[in-house]
Amino acid sequence: MAHRWGMTIDLDLCTGCQACVVACQAENNIPINTEENFQQRRAIEWIRVERYWEGEFPNVKARYIPVPCMMCENAPCEPVCPVYASYHTDQGLNFQVYNRCIGTRYCSVNCHWHVRFFNFWEPKWPDSLKQQLNPLVAVRSRGVMEKCSFCIQRIDHAEQSAQLQGRDVKDGDFTTACAQACPTRAIVFGDLNNADSEVAKTVASTKRGYQLLADLGTNPAVVYLKKIDADPLPEDSKHKYFDSSQYTRVKETVAVG
Amino acid sequence: MRRRDFLKLVAASGAGAVVFTGCDLSQFGDGDPKREFQIQSAVDNPQDFALGRDLWYATAYPGIAGGSGLIVRVYEGRAKKVDGNPDYPLNMGRSTALEQSLVQELYHPDRIGGPLKLKGDRGSGSFSALSWGDAQNEFNSMITAGKGSTLLITGPVSGSEAAVVDQFTKAIGGQHVTYEPEERIVLREAMRRVFGSEHLPAFDLGNAQFLLNFGAEFLNDWISPVHLSIGYGAFRAGVGGKRGRYWHVGPQLSATAANADKWVYINPGTEGLVALSLAQVMTSQGLVDKGAASSIYNGISLDDYAPDKVASKAGISADQITEMAKAFAGAKPAIAMAGTSAAAHTNGLFNLTAVYALNYLVGSVGAKGGVMLNPDSPLPDVLPNMTGGTSYRDWKPIVDKIKSGGTKLVLVHDANPVYGLPPAIGLKDALGAGTKVVSFSNFLDETTTQADLVLPTLVTLEDWGLHVPDPGPGYPTVALQQPVVKPFVDAKSFVDLLIGAATTAGGSLPWKTNEELVRTVVGQLQQAGGGNITGVDDPKEYFVTVQGQGGWWDSNKAASAAPTAPAKPTNAAEPKFDGNGEYYLLPYPTNSLSYGENSHLPWLQALPEPISTNVWSTWVDVNTSTAKKLGVETGDIVKLTTSTGSVEVAVYMNPSAPTDVLLVPFGQGHVIFSRYAEKRGENPFAFIAAQTEAETGALAWAATKVSIKKANKKVRVPRLEGSVPAYQLEEFPIIEVEAAE
Repeated sequence: MAHRWGMTIDLDLCTGCQACVVACQAENNIPINTEENFQQRRAIEWIRVERYWEGEFPNVKARYIPVPCMMCENAPCEPVCPVYASYHTDQGLNFQVYNRCIGTRYCSVNCHWHVRFFNFWEPKWPDSLKQQLNPLVAVRSRGVMEKCSFCIQRIDHAEQSAQLQGRDVKDGDFTTACAQACPTRAIVFGDLNNADSEVAKTVASTKRGYQLLADLGTNPAVVYLKKIDADPLPEDSKHKYFDSSQYTRVKETVAVG
Repeated sequence: MRRRDFLKLVAASGAGAVVFTGCDLSQFGDGDPKREFQIQSAVDNPQDFALGRDLWYATAYPGIAGGSGLIVRVYEGRAKKVDGNPDYPLNMGRSTALEQSLVQELYHPDRIGGPLKLKGDRGSGSFSALSWGDAQNEFNSMITAGKGSTLLITGPVSGSEAAVVDQFTKAIGGQHVTYEPEERIVLREAMRRVFGSEHLPAFDLGNAQFLLNFGAEFLNDWISPVHLSIGYGAFRAGVGGKRGRYWHVGPQLSATAANADKWVYINPGTEGLVALSLAQVMTSQGLVDKGAASSIYNGISLDDYAPDKVASKAGISADQITEMAKAFAGAKPAIAMAGTSAAAHTNGLFNLTAVYALNYLVGSVGAKGGVMLNPDSPLPDVLPNMTGGTSYRDWKPIVDKIKSGGTKLVLVHDANPVYGLPPAIGLKDALGAGTKVVSFSNFLDETTTQADLVLPTLVTLEDWGLHVPDPGPGYPTVALQQPVVKPFVDAKSFVDLLIGAATTAGGSLPWKTNEELVRTVVGQLQQAGGGNITGVDDPKEYFVTVQGQGGWWDSNKAASAAPTAPAKPTNAAEPKFDGNGEYYLLPYPTNSLSYGENSHLPWLQALPEPISTNVWSTWVDVNTSTAKKLGVETGDIVKLTTSTGSVEVAVYMNPSAPTDVLLVPFGQGHVIFSRYAEKRGENPFAFIAAQTEAETGALAWAATKVSIKKANKKVRVPRLEGSVPAYQLEEFPIIEVEAAE
């Protein structure tokens, strides 16, 4: 396998600004999420920023976590598709072939990260806003699933450009829309198989790395770097919303100002 | 053959496989999904799927105080994607959701397509179209009639646009007022008082070790969010040696405060008292130089603000104040920052000056890892710096003059004061009284519907400009804005229209068009020497290079301007609140809609507010236990009553909301402002009390008390939260740390 595209998301740097969310929508022709979409819980955000509570006023914290497709190595969404619309590329990407999809939504049910979205309606834009649509990304029609593609059109473009120059794609040739926008550089994209890439170096060197729902054994290509909690809440107020007392909290020494 | 017969035949025949696959049987049916059903994926496009080439142009966005450099992907004459310009020193390739959404401003379905003339009653939104020729004639006659008594209202302007506004105002003998968030007016005055600087503050966050922030939404919509976020990233990544520690002090766990290592709740408006108390602890315990403090807090007896005297007023303990003081004084370099709601009180200026003066105590003014003071514009005559906005108090005589007929012509560009100023000031009625009004807006909004004539102007991605960012990166910088696409509608450049109007009024401007102005001034920058473009002599080549870079800057002149020690002390004062309600009403700007100026952009309407995750609506954040006491839960409608009036909004139960503070986001409540914004939610400016900051006269929008009553109605609040099940917390582990010695 030539490439294994992956991503690191440093939760200590993420500020929850959601520049990534709009950058993704702009790049990937995601339909406008109306008020009704949210009320019906059918909003489409290929990358979303979730907020978690810890404690309650006055001892309270809110945490942010951006969630794109994890691009699992052993993706649970793939084997359940009866028409092979969800398949694995030789670059480690979990793809959705829109014109194969018949809308069973089995893949959505089987995705534990809830990053697959079904088009319940035909996507609609006012005519003038269609001017903005990215010509390199297909608009998905009613009845098919869609999901984060790690900006495959950018990968393709970078590979074609490199091919013309008679070389392989280098780290930094391109990045995903979310990583490009991220003001704090919390999101970094690259080739996990390239030992010299920034993501590979981060994954190899960090003590804070973990994968979301790693116990499922799907080996996601998205590696999170844990939030550093320099001033934790008092023990008795930590877990009012989510009881995690049964879990061990990691304790490490990190230099803090 | 009928379809059914055909399918029967195909199903029964091996030839059917050939018909379907269009390939030989050897590639079919071996179970390998890579070969089986070879259908071209729409996400794995062939190279000739899309015709044409994309081009990237550098330009600039002046819409927020610090502005930003952009690169825009243009494909077959259409702008497709906005990103940060990696060369531009303020945002270094990064961008916000607002900047990403500029393409929606360009291609907005409700953008005004050409000049309009009022047809029905003012405020009705009923206009008829007219040609630019007729519109120009009408505009010229208004300019001629309005000479000597014209009022020009704009958003904050700098650089080339400010130069033309200045020339126009002189030519017509009129007045120019700037509409900007009122808390920023207080911030500008605080900079003058504390540092003797005419510029908004810049911070060397990347090299700082400790940040003590009193309410400033610096990671969201405050003065320069991308630049500050980049600094914050370096601060957290430990560029200065160790990971920086951030404590947030204020009455709200805001979207920015959620990133803090520690949030310390204090009562609204007590930021200045707490800052003085910190100074008292630091000086009395010998943590800082006592002599320096006496000159900085000139005329204030710090011992009157010992922690035990301040704690109960601020709603925290004396020990918490002492702990904060020790942490702040102990970790160097440290930065004290204040803004947003801290400035929006009757004592806002005191709050800000008391906090910013803390930087002197720990030696952080003009030092590495501290507060940086930006230099002036490289060409102040032709590229003036951004000047401050007009305070609510100063708006009153302006409105009275319009009402009395003393102002014959009102011109409005890039501002919606009818929406953003409390109705008590009577601006809407004043504009409706007969004064001629011309709006240069692209959208029908609350102010534009009061206009006699609407002359739509080019948007950011269609126009020229040179902008001086404030705050800048710490050295002279000019951003170049250029058209990346042809105008999408029949609009004209505001600066071109203003140059024409100034000429009609008898003025003699050295430039005929906005583009000529930009080219001329870039030539002057070349002659002045220095800057990022070197080794280019030919003026045309120089201009093209500046275009490609996205601006001009001179990093060799990176030095913090010398501060002037506080000369005019601000009176220490406690906040005053209007009304008898039992709760504080704390409105707040959000990262997407800010104060309501971005509500017409659907991507931003649909962007979850980071803390509540609510979208497309107005709600009130109510503490979880307070909600239980009131017998309400998320989705219940409540009636909020202030001395100004009542509104009904939905409850959002927020475990971080203080028990006696009700939080309401700014942004909605537009009567008219495109299909995406109008008749949606409530406008907090319409129901806060019109209190003002004591010294600057800025609107104190956080100085209102409110009562709350259940309205026995329920709605479903649109939000992201709950769209997907929450993960188990063990999947969100947090490292606890011990301070490295």
